[in-house]
Amino acid sequence: MSEPTMENTEPQEGLEVLRPHKFDGIQEFDNPMPNWWLAILGTSIAFALGYWAVMHAYGPGIEPGKRLTEEMALAAQEAAKRSGLLTDPLLWKMSQDQAVVNNGRAIYAVSCAPCHLPDLAGAIGPNLKDNLWVHGGNPMAILGIITEGVAAKGMPTWGPMLGRQKIAEVTAFILSYHKEGEPVLPAQPQAQAR
Amino acid sequence: MTPSAKTLDTHPNAAKIRITYNDRVVRQFLLATLVWGVVGMLVGVLLATQLAFWQANLNTSWLTFGRLRPLHTNAVIFAFVGNMLFAGVYYSTQRLVKARMASDALSAIHFWGWQLIIVAAAITLPLGFSRGKEYAELIWPINIAVAVIWLVFGWNFFWTLRRRNERTLYVAVWFYIATVITVTVLYVVNHLQIPTSLTHAYPVFGGVQDALVQWWYGHNAVAFFLTTPVLGIMYYFVPKAAGRPVYSYRLSIVHFWSIVFLYIWAGPHHLLNTALPSWLQSLGMVFSLMLWAPSWGGMLNGLLTLRGCWNRVRTEPVLQFFAAAITFYGMATFEGPLLSIKSLNALSHYTDWTVGHVHSAALGWNGFMAAGMIYWLVPRLWNRELYSKNWAQMHFWLGMVGILLYVAAMWVSGITQGLMLSATKEAGSVLAYPNFLDAVTSTRWLMHMRALGGALYMAGFILMGWNIFKSIRGAAPLENHVEVVPEPVEAASRLGLKSGFLNPPVLYSLGLILCAIGWGTLSGLAGGLCLWGMIAVVVVTLIHKEVTGTLWTEWYDRLLANALPFSALTTVAMLVGGVVQLLPTILMDKNRHQEGINMEPYSALQLYGRDLYVQEGCYNCHSQMIRTLAGDVLRYGAYSKIGESIYDYPFQWGSKRTGPDLARIGAKYPNIWHYHHMRDPRQISPGSTMPAYPWLFSKEADLSVLPNRIAVLRKLGVPYPEQSDAEILADAKADAERIAADLGTAGAPINPNREIVALIAYLQRMGKSNARPLAEAPTAAPATK
Repeated sequence: MSEPTMENTEPQEGLEVLRPHKFDGIQEFDNPMPNWWLAILGTSIAFALGYWAVMHAYGPGIEPGKRLTEEMALAAQEAAKRSGLLTDPLLWKMSQDQAVVNNGRAIYAVSCAPCHLPDLAGAIGPNLKDNLWVHGGNPMAILGIITEGVAAKGMPTWGPMLGRQKIAEVTAFILSYHKEGEPVLPAQPQAQAR
Repeated sequence: MTPSAKTLDTHPNAAKIRITYNDRVVRQFLLATLVWGVVGMLVGVLLATQLAFWQANLNTSWLTFGRLRPLHTNAVIFAFVGNMLFAGVYYSTQRLVKARMASDALSAIHFWGWQLIIVAAAITLPLGFSRGKEYAELIWPINIAVAVIWLVFGWNFFWTLRRRNERTLYVAVWFYIATVITVTVLYVVNHLQIPTSLTHAYPVFGGVQDALVQWWYGHNAVAFFLTTPVLGIMYYFVPKAAGRPVYSYRLSIVHFWSIVFLYIWAGPHHLLNTALPSWLQSLGMVFSLMLWAPSWGGMLNGLLTLRGCWNRVRTEPVLQFFAAAITFYGMATFEGPLLSIKSLNALSHYTDWTVGHVHSAALGWNGFMAAGMIYWLVPRLWNRELYSKNWAQMHFWLGMVGILLYVAAMWVSGITQGLMLSATKEAGSVLAYPNFLDAVTSTRWLMHMRALGGALYMAGFILMGWNIFKSIRGAAPLENHVEVVPEPVEAASRLGLKSGFLNPPVLYSLGLILCAIGWGTLSGLAGGLCLWGMIAVVVVTLIHKEVTGTLWTEWYDRLLANALPFSALTTVAMLVGGVVQLLPTILMDKNRHQEGINMEPYSALQLYGRDLYVQEGCYNCHSQMIRTLAGDVLRYGAYSKIGESIYDYPFQWGSKRTGPDLARIGAKYPNIWHYHHMRDPRQISPGSTMPAYPWLFSKEADLSVLPNRIAVLRKLGVPYPEQSDAEILADAKADAERIAADLGTAGAPINPNREIVALIAYLQRMGKSNARPLAEAPTAAPATK
């Protein structure tokens, strides 16, 4: 097997400086560092100093939590403005609209069915197709429970997860199992499967 | 081909001595590299398969993802790359310093000790013995063994340097020195712990402290275990294989010292947008950006050394592997700084993008450097030609296609996950994909691609193993020797420890660094003075240079002839970043409220459940850190505060969300939900990738360990009330009975002494910090109010 050696290595272009010392046959050129490489190094150091100066040393500092809270409050205001007013009659009306109910059914299947079962019969969460309601059975009450959740019972706060549009659709889907004007009876929470 | 009877370029008439290298230990490490490489990759491919098909968890505790993933990472880092770097360091150091390793006994202890540690890891990790910190999972008795064996290696290495017959140190040796010193410091600090039993211990740092120490370690394990020693190996094997001089000596100097100084500061980029104080996040980001050029310095010196022999790169597998490895190094060290930018990290963190990033480095840089080195070494260690060059080339292409498939799959998958999980609508007030599983199911096909990519890479590696086996079967090991003229360091070049520091270049550098730290930490007049100090140091340095016309090259040449001051300077350069970043957090008063919250200690049963969470490796797929990002807050609730995890030993903020964040899972669902979910995740979450945990329902919780564990935590400063052992056990039992009764009412009667009950106790506690005395952290998103 032929061992490549550095014995006959000529410096290229006659400009390169070859350091005389050999380490186990290895030699080193002493080429200048590429300018573009030095530029990256210098720029990144300058950026680091500048970033620190602007953000920490002389700036207002960074408070990501505070900034985020403000941003999200603005977003919530804007969203509330856009969604308009929902009412009991409007939700009943939506429950007659097959397109809305179909949308609601799809959301229900993913988000609600694991606890309330696909046929609304209830398992971990209460039955949603009988006339017994733990937290109120008026359309806006149902919408409110979905939005806010019931922390003690494990009902999640769906507001930020689904948004008003989808929650209205799910409410309409649940209402499609009911009739406007039917009795809304209070249920004993203990009696419900939990 | 043998380098026997090589003559020296200087002093032709001086007295020669004959040196026989210890190549036996090199051969041993080389074969171990092949064996553990296959093991590590096999486990990796199994894990990739588990992410595509949950059934591959096989319903067996010791084969679940959470327990095997630590085995994969530890095997690849410490067993595969570890053995590879030891082979390379032992082979090249002996030749670069013209001396046999100082002690054959130490070399042998090192080899066998390291293999025993790996075997111990391969047994304990699947059994669930884990410290719950990434790449630092091994339990404390093994930690001690690792430290001892590493010191054996260090001792052997420095002893060899001391007995060297070569006057000055070559750049590869600089990188080895940095490796030996830094890994020692990192490993020891991140493994400080107080045992509660033979197999369990709590780390001495908790919460944010532990997070910071862990990622200072984790990031620099990448730097000083996977990078610097392999750069050293590059500096020896690439010019040897290419027969070309190294491109630039001065580039070596600048990129070596900048890597050693800068790398250590970059750890906090693993904690961007978390509860980590923002000044640390900023340091993590800017130091990562500053690392781009130093890393590329290594790539340039590697690739430009190949100038003039690119024609051979096309035909010789060794050079092919080296050229590709260095290119992957360049790609990964460009991607690293990129991912460290806070805003980009908001997208990439916790996703597969990070996974792809580490694999392009591990498979491309480490794996291909190992392959090139092994193909080059085998003929020189066994005196046999490689059995098949074609197979080696096939290995190269299998590996290359494997990496590209893997990395491309992870890019697509990571960006998809990042975009889907953070997407909002309705003016940013609502999640576009509220169901976490949407992101899981959309990227499932990419899990198949990655498993295929990994399998191809492994196939190439196994082909190499077979090739090597065919090459060396029946071969007599070669005892390489050389005749050298000892080159003692002349008296004029002697540099004491003191004079190593007291000279212009070192003093100017230290002055500049101290002033910069002062400017960064002090405010007002003192900070301003430090800024002027920085400018003054730069000006003085320039004037000194201008007036004397020196570049301090003679001084540096002298330093290279003196291993002790060189090592001391390396140590200082490496320590600065750690000290500045870690000390303020380590010294902080944990009992003070952090951001208005200071958690109550866990109840005894919750603590037991938490230790189960750590043991099962839940952190491998679930984070416990809601970042200061709208997507996180909308999905998981109010962002996490430092105080909420301050008594978490170890911290479990996590680094990957294969499943959703769990920081506020507590009380979100009823106990029965967790019961069914842990038993069969798909019953509750159709499409879930999570393994089932049937053994938690049959194994009994051994609560008798609790009094001792609580005593240790009390020692660490967790404000547990004084309680007798009996009271602690009674508390835990009462808790368990309460949960079991609730499960019974819900239709799932269970014995209260089962592990699942303790785990549910912990899960229901998460995010319920019981803040003192301020109100409980708001769990609902601010946007809904």
